[in-house]
Formats: sequence, structure tokens, C-alpha cells
Amino acid sequence: MNHSSSEPEPGTSEPLRYLSKADASAIETELLRDYRFGQQQLIEMWGYACAIAITKAFPLKSLSKKQPTVLVVCGPEQSGSVGLVCARHLRIFEYEPTIYYPKRSSHSVHQDFTVQCEKMDIPFLSYLPTEVQLINDAYNVVIDAVLGPDSDPKDVKEPYLSILVTLKQVKIPIASVDVPLGWDTEVASKEGVEPEVLISLMAPKKCATNFSGKHFLAGRFLPYDIQKKYELNLPEFPEAECLIEL
Amino acid sequence: MSTVQLAGLGGGKWMFGLRTLLGIGFLVTSQGNSRVLCQRACTLSQSLRTPESSCRALHSMAHPVKYLGQKEAQGIDEELFSDYSFSVDQLMELAGLSCATAVAKAYPVEAMVKARPTVLIICGPGNNGGDGLVCARHLQLFGYEPSILYPKRPNKQLFNNLTIQCEKMGISFLSDMPEAKVVDEAYNLVVDAIFGFSFQGAVREPFGAILSTLKKITVPIASVDIPSGWDVEKGNPDGIQPDMLISLTAPKQAATQFKGRYHFLGGRFVPPALEQKYQLNLPKYPATDCVYQLN
Repeated sequence: MNHSSSEPEPGTSEPLRYLSKADASAIETELLRDYRFGQQQLIEMWGYACAIAITKAFPLKSLSKKQPTVLVVCGPEQSGSVGLVCARHLRIFEYEPTIYYPKRSSHSVHQDFTVQCEKMDIPFLSYLPTEVQLINDAYNVVIDAVLGPDSDPKDVKEPYLSILVTLKQVKIPIASVDVPLGWDTEVASKEGVEPEVLISLMAPKKCATNFSGKHFLAGRFLPYDIQKKYELNLPEFPEAECLIEL
Repeated sequence: MSTVQLAGLGGGKWMFGLRTLLGIGFLVTSQGNSRVLCQRACTLSQSLRTPESSCRALHSMAHPVKYLGQKEAQGIDEELFSDYSFSVDQLMELAGLSCATAVAKAYPVEAMVKARPTVLIICGPGNNGGDGLVCARHLQLFGYEPSILYPKRPNKQLFNNLTIQCEKMGISFLSDMPEAKVVDEAYNLVVDAIFGFSFQGAVREPFGAILSTLKKITVPIASVDIPSGWDVEKGNPDGIQPDMLISLTAPKQAATQFKGRYHFLGGRFVPPALEQKYQLNLPKYPATDCVYQLN
């Protein structure tokens, strides 16, 4: 492994760090400000990693329905865009995503992601049915890309409250990205969804500390200096993979 | 954004609801509604895999992958950025990742003969150079020790940012092209990210001298998209002879002259509609791999 300065010995049992909201925000700021990553670049990487995680958690062949349908529920702004990029890559990986994106961002950065999905012929639902059986029947998995690490649970208003009510009743598996809907970045909540799969981007957030389902760490692009600075103690990624199952 | 609510297919409320959820009735898009409907309806009635993938299977049997001319390659690029609204950031990141992945497949870190898994990446003045910068960053994360030579840097935000990303990750930038024997001693591999599919005309310095040096080295060269100095359609028998070629999006006609060991296809982001329009007949990438070995 190539590091610019001294690195921990392989196999050290330094525990994986679970990030607070402030840490997650600080890391993102550093990536954007100091490392000059572009916002679209980061979102592309996060969404791509997310899609890879979904294919690991729910391989095409393992899906029970005739069509490999997946419902991607996208939140506002950045977390929603991650969902959109994820949907696009899932389409390339031969899944059949459908997107529910109730609150579209007005920023051009995020609008491009919407157009990219539309042009890949990915359907967008105009409403999420409250009749849960319809969702259970139509899709194999729901991907919850509503919240991000910077979301404030107090800001979760409509339509996300209704979405939460619906998702709590679905019987098909839910895969949440970073922070499950209804949770706080730092605290899990039984009032929120109970995902089978959690996909943590870059590093897990505090709310994932006692997560008992399948937990993936997705996204292999954090510079080593950031990993060291925040003492992330990320496990080693295998070969040229961008995903680890924790 | 207009809500398009299409007439139900008869039956009660639940039937309508189920069918719409399956995608054939209930869309909110500002474009392409009817086309999507037809595709989705076809998908359901066939209850087979999607039309594109069954077409794709047939294509690979009957039609080999298309090798693009220069104008076609430029046209596709144009469409990706204008019609499909991709940003250069996004696609360059995916392209660079493909390059790094291909390198990792053909020249694994463990198989590197020198003491350190060093790689020299030579970046040209345009987008091909940008792909090289992204490739370098991912190679470092994969455990290689990349060094970059980037003698002519365009004064654009994207390239400034990509450079800073590499610098901040501790990737060293050389000030000059080393002599051939120094390259052979110091590096396991050279990634040629100098010129891409827009290249035409004469080679400007310092790249002429760099290419001369590359013709003398014995360590393998992996070229990004087009072996630099080659005509995009005709190749160049007097030019560098790389060991690996990573064609991005689709191979260009010059690739028919490629005689190296490894020809990979990368840049797995082509929307199905674009692929069909240009009849690219892209092969089926395995699983979630972002590269496909063509030879």
C-alpha cells in the first residue's frame, strides 16, 4: 500500500470509526475545498459505489420477481442525486430501476442527474402509492436515498413523513444509503425504517454503530491523509474493489 | 415539470395502480414518454429480459463491436455532454477508473518486478491527460506508486482540480521526461495519456521528444484510448507500440492496428439509446466490471 507517510501496521485492531455529523461534514468540506473534488464528481463516485453495493447485496440472480425491478426513493439535493446516480448505474448493470423523486432540486448540478436518468429511460413515479401491496408486488427492493449525513431530522417534512409511513409497512427489503429515513445521523431510531442493508459511503456514521443487518462500506477514494486525520481506520479494500462488507 | 397520467388500462383502481407501478402508465418526465411506455409495455408482455439485453446477446453473436471513425467518436462525445447532460467531471472519473482497473487486471501489483510498484503516467494537454490524472489517483488507491509527468496543463478549473487532487494525495509530479534507460530502471509500466481521439496534425513539443523516448523504452506502455501519435483511424506503424490499449466508450479504428497483448474496453456509461443510435454493438461487460477484455 502506498502512503505518503507512516501507516498503521496491517492487521492492527484499531476500531473502525463511526462518524459524527460534524466529522462527516468536515470531511466533505475538505474534499471539496482542499482537495478540490467537484460536487458532481463526488456524487458520481458515491452513486456508483452505492450501485455496486446493491448488486452485491441483491445479485440479479437472487431477485425473486420476474423482472429485476428496484424502487429508488430519492431525497432532496445531494442525497437525492446520489440515489439518481445509483439508479443510472443499476440500469447499466441490467436492473430495472424506477425512481420516486418528489422534491426536485432547482440547482443545475442536481438537475443534470435527473436528465441523465430520464435519457436512460428510467421511469419516474409521480406519486408513491400508499397501498403498500402495490410496492411489494412490483419491486424486489426499495433503495432509500432520502437522507444524507448532513440532513437534519427536524427538517424531515412532507412528503418524506408519508414516505416513511409507507416504507415502514413494505415487506420487501429496504437498502438505505448512509442514514436510513427517520434516523438521525448519529442515533438509530426505531421510529424510522428498518433496513436490511445499510450502505455507508466513505465511512460509517454513528447511527450505524449497532446496525445488525448487512452493512457495506462503499466508495474507495478517500485520500490516505484524510483517513489518517480522522482516524477512520478503514479496513483494507480487496484488490481493485471499491466495496467492503463490514 | 408536467405530470403525465395516462389512461388506465381498464379495470378497477388497484389494477390501474399495479400496472402503473410496473412502469407502463405513470410517468413524470418532460420527455420521451411514449417511447418509454412502448419499451416498458414490451418488457412486460414478453416477460423476458429487457429488449436491449436480448438484442445485445444477438448482436455479439452476429455483429462485432463497432470501431469508430474520428468524427463519430467526436459526435458521441458531444451528445453525451449536450443531449444526455453528462458533465466532463463525471465521465472523466468513470473513464479514469476504467483505465486504472484495466491496469490492475493486466499488471497486478503483486506481479510487478521492481522493488516498488511504480508507474509513470504521462498526461497530455487535453481530456486524455485528464483521464490520466484520474487514473493515477485510483492507481494509488489500488496500491501502486504512480508518478505523473504533466508538462502542458490547460488553464481550466477541471484540470486544475484534478491536479490538486493528485498533489494532495502525495502523487509526485516530475518536472522532465526521464531518459529511456531511467524510465526502464525506475518504473514497471508507463501509462500513455497524451493524445486521445481528437488528435490530429503535427505533434507539438514536448510531446514529440516524449514519444521518441517512449519508442526506446522496454517496459510496457498502456495507452489510454488511442496510442499517442497514431492517426485515430489509420494508426501509425512508426509510432509507439503499446502493450495495452484501453479503448474508452468504444474502440476507434486505429485499434485495428493494435498489436499489443491487452485490449480493454472501458467507460461503461453509454446510455442504451446512444448505443443503439450509433450501433456500437458493445459487448456485455461482466457483472459490475467497468472494463471488458476485447482480446
